[in-house]
Amino acid sequence: MVQTIGVLALQGGFHEHLSLLHKALAHLKASQPAKWQQHNPNFIEVRNSEQLSRCDALIIPGGESTTIAFIAAQSGLLEPLRQFVKVDKKPTWGTCAGLILLSEAANATKKGGQELIGGLDVRVQRNHFGRQVESFVADVNLPFLAEEGGSALYPGVFIRAPIVQEILSSNGSQVPDASSATTPDSANGVQVLAVLPNRTKRVHVANGGGEETDADNKANDIVAVRQGNVLGTSFHPELTDDIRMHVWWLEEVLKAHSPAATQ
Amino acid sequence: MASTNSSTTVNNATSATSTNNMNGSHSNGVPTFAIKAGLAQMLKGGVIMDVTNAAQARIAEEAGACAVMALERVPADIRAQGGVARMSDPSVIQEIQAAVTIPVMAKARIGHFVECQILEELGVDYIDESEVLTPADEAFHVEKHGFKAPFVCGCRNLGEALRRIAEGAAMIRTKGEAGTGDVVEAVKHIRTVNADIARAQAALRHGGEGAIRALAREIGCDAALLKQTAELGRLPVVNFAAGGVATPADAALMMQLGCDGVFVGSGIFKSGDAAKRAKAIVNATTHFRDAKVLAECSTGLGEAMVGINVSSMPATDKLAGRGW
Repeated sequence: MVQTIGVLALQGGFHEHLSLLHKALAHLKASQPAKWQQHNPNFIEVRNSEQLSRCDALIIPGGESTTIAFIAAQSGLLEPLRQFVKVDKKPTWGTCAGLILLSEAANATKKGGQELIGGLDVRVQRNHFGRQVESFVADVNLPFLAEEGGSALYPGVFIRAPIVQEILSSNGSQVPDASSATTPDSANGVQVLAVLPNRTKRVHVANGGGEETDADNKANDIVAVRQGNVLGTSFHPELTDDIRMHVWWLEEVLKAHSPAATQ
Repeated sequence: MASTNSSTTVNNATSATSTNNMNGSHSNGVPTFAIKAGLAQMLKGGVIMDVTNAAQARIAEEAGACAVMALERVPADIRAQGGVARMSDPSVIQEIQAAVTIPVMAKARIGHFVECQILEELGVDYIDESEVLTPADEAFHVEKHGFKAPFVCGCRNLGEALRRIAEGAAMIRTKGEAGTGDVVEAVKHIRTVNADIARAQAALRHGGEGAIRALAREIGCDAALLKQTAELGRLPVVNFAAGGVATPADAALMMQLGCDGVFVGSGIFKSGDAAKRAKAIVNATTHFRDAKVLAECSTGLGEAMVGINVSSMPATDKLAGRGW
């Protein structure tokens, strides 16, 4: 029985996620009453380890990843979060800053690096597309969201967004050419759920504040990955009023807690 | 609970599904309002700190600031030194941009759209059209919709906030009284905004569209934005506190009054131990309802900025009266 789902509320778009979780649950109760009336999870804001200990699943929202990591450390939450994600293996979804925090490695971090929670064997590139004036909305193809005859396109809001730059093998080396993989399963279980095709790859120049664009280098940027219990998206479903991602994730959380119910 | 925090009412007015094409930008390359307002939504629950050089910016980043405001002089020094206060030298902004990975904001004078063009060219993440600098235009604020960079603007009441949003501001802050270390004006401004929103809600409930139009005429704002505000029960964009926040308790006070986050100007780098105070204010802004944490992070911070009592200040010295 899924009883409590938390949203990490240290900084960022946590109210927005809570709002979409409530809408998604209302939708599920209306469309599948037999299944969802018996599961009536409540949604809570998580700011300390006591609140985290009550959660069966967690969302880490968009925000500023350095800020969230700093407050998590100050609040004694880093180790409980690592336990939650990597040892207890409870369902956890990170969006934008949340994806960064759930990665095992990150590039373009502040001087001296930053604390991460980990759980996804990937290396992310922070602020991949550049500064705020480079932020954009693009349709992302997410086949698992397509209902019969419905669209698989989802409005991806990318704000100073990271991408998954490499998928790491369990010994820490790079899995070659992950972004063009046609089968989603890589050796270590990292599934690429979505790529953003044909955006011009930006080459960051250290310390200049500027960046060069390499027109010949078109990249398939990885913008959604999953590894077991952990889901990460570069984009911000919490900045849309499209409930499909949250509906899908709630169903995945339920499956993880009651495998028999999926048979 | 005594808190009047209204931010649990989520703003979906700026959601991305309202975009009408594939790349989230209008045909002229300007990002949609959802993208501009979206960055502000990602700053919520955070502290934005005034910094004047790379070293201060690094202290702010290490203390958990969610963004920095790049300035030549903090408001307390602008106030002390007098003269015309203008946009910072681009080299100051670029030095700070190179030093940190968090968003960098910068201030332009009210109405000075060329300073805004320069800041946009520098790649500033948010432009603050600010009363802390000397206004450049007595009749017009900057028309903000056409810029790629998003704008934050100050307000003292709901009418002023909605006038700025109508011009294209994607984020609002209270004006407070910058450079004083006295939170009283910031409290007055958020309480006024909250009271105005309650009035708009009552007008919509009891008098419908007609009453909203009458109130919109009275407070001098767009009726459609006023109706949207009444329906949401909050401003349709993110609203931070600013102008006088100097302690962790000040920050938590503004959060409990319903602000989405906090700007701290002179309060950090005019105090005794800037790094410690900065960290404490960040913690207090997250744990704003947890008195135990607030007591811990208020302890042993050293000397706060000396400050100026706003009540003993002549009206001509106040910055909040700039803009309209």
